[in-house]
Amino acid sequence: MNEPISIIELVLKASIIVQVVMGLLMAASMTSWIMIFQRFFTLGTISREAIEFETEFWSGKDLRQIYKDLEEHEDTPIGLPAIFQAGFKEFSRLRTQSADPDRVMQNVHRAMRVSMSREEERLERHLAFLATVGSTSPYVGLFGTVWGIMNSFRGLATVNQASLAVVAPGISEALVATAMGLFAAIPAVIAYNRYAAQVEIIVNRFEAFTDEFSSILYRAINN
Amino acid sequence: MDRSTSYILPSFLAAAFHALVIVALLLNWQRTPEVDVTPVEKYYIDAAIVSENPYKAKARKVAAAREKSRQQRIAAEKQAAAQRAREAQARKEKAREQEAAREAAEAAAKKKQVEQTAPDTAPAQDEASSPDSIDETERVRMEQSLALAVMDEQEYRRAVTDDEKAMAYVAQIRKEIVQNWSRPPSARNGMQALLKVHLVPTGEVVDVAVIESSGNDAFDRSATQAVEKARRFTVPTDSRQFERNFREFEVLFRPEDLRL
Repeated sequence: MNEPISIIELVLKASIIVQVVMGLLMAASMTSWIMIFQRFFTLGTISREAIEFETEFWSGKDLRQIYKDLEEHEDTPIGLPAIFQAGFKEFSRLRTQSADPDRVMQNVHRAMRVSMSREEERLERHLAFLATVGSTSPYVGLFGTVWGIMNSFRGLATVNQASLAVVAPGISEALVATAMGLFAAIPAVIAYNRYAAQVEIIVNRFEAFTDEFSSILYRAINN
Repeated sequence: MDRSTSYILPSFLAAAFHALVIVALLLNWQRTPEVDVTPVEKYYIDAAIVSENPYKAKARKVAAAREKSRQQRIAAEKQAAAQRAREAQARKEKAREQEAAREAAEAAAKKKQVEQTAPDTAPAQDEASSPDSIDETERVRMEQSLALAVMDEQEYRRAVTDDEKAMAYVAQIRKEIVQNWSRPPSARNGMQALLKVHLVPTGEVVDVAVIESSGNDAFDRSATQAVEKARRFTVPTDSRQFERNFREFEVLFRPEDLRL
């Protein structure tokens, strides 16, 4: 009797609903951690490439050369280079066709805005999922716990000698669900907050770049 | 391929992380329930009145007195026997001397009368028979005293078993009194009150009297009340034992566990 109950036994002996809840939370935790790592790498890459591109952009290199380099690169550019590419492509195409600088600039602006919103979407992808896991998994875990405790007390009603040993395993098993909920939720919330702040910084950088690039193109078109 | 959509490495990392957490949890889970359950030593406060076990003291006194009297008696008997033996000896010698004197006188007379008679055997006979009778009486006395000693021994043994039985009752009585005793705040270590308690054979308390006061009225009163509150004690049904030990007994109240 002194043998401790193993956590596996605890999970396997749980009622179906609690088991489903646990499975759900495990999946949520797993997925959210995949998202966390994936976002970590993606945001890091985008932010690093943005900085590199900005350095290259302001180094006084010819914009056409930069554009050509991007086109020749086997990877589709993401982040800042993608915005630059979209804007410059539109600019160079319209410049040869239309003479109205205002219309050219409007189209360039639009193209860059579209590209930027696509990049923003890329940045914010999965963040909603992290937010959802962070806010709902404690409730899901709590549901599993309440259900487990409910069952364990219902079992208590049929027992003559009500002792702590009768309810304790049930409650322990039920509490595993809450623990798992919190285990899934805490990293998700932290990651969400951190990545949301990071995305905002990157987007601000994009916007600043877009404005600066527009003004450069405007100057070029008017000369 | 778009670099931002690579999920292989993150998936692997997430799986590794969860596996790590689960393994750590399993190892830890096995270890945690080994709670060290050293039994807490129970601590009893000895809130005891130290009653001086009046019965035992009395029994001891009685036994001692009995022993003493027995020894005295034996000694007296021995002395008496010796005295008697000495007296008998003296008497015998006196008798012999008288006899000798008489013989001498008779012999002289007979000589004078020139009438030779054979020496009388009577004194010899007397001489032989008298030590015998003394031995006889001595032996009887010795036997009697031996019988007395045996009786004493039996009685003593019975008293000892009675004593053991009585101890249980005494302990019970002491417990009841201690339970009912609420000491006044003015009680101090070193105070003691001796109470005499009278019981009737059913065990009911009929009288409580303070024999030796502690000098503190509240303390004496609390002691008296402790006995009165108990009202009834369990006493042996054996009336002989009751009469001997529990008809009236003394209880000494003495707080020993106080800090003051």
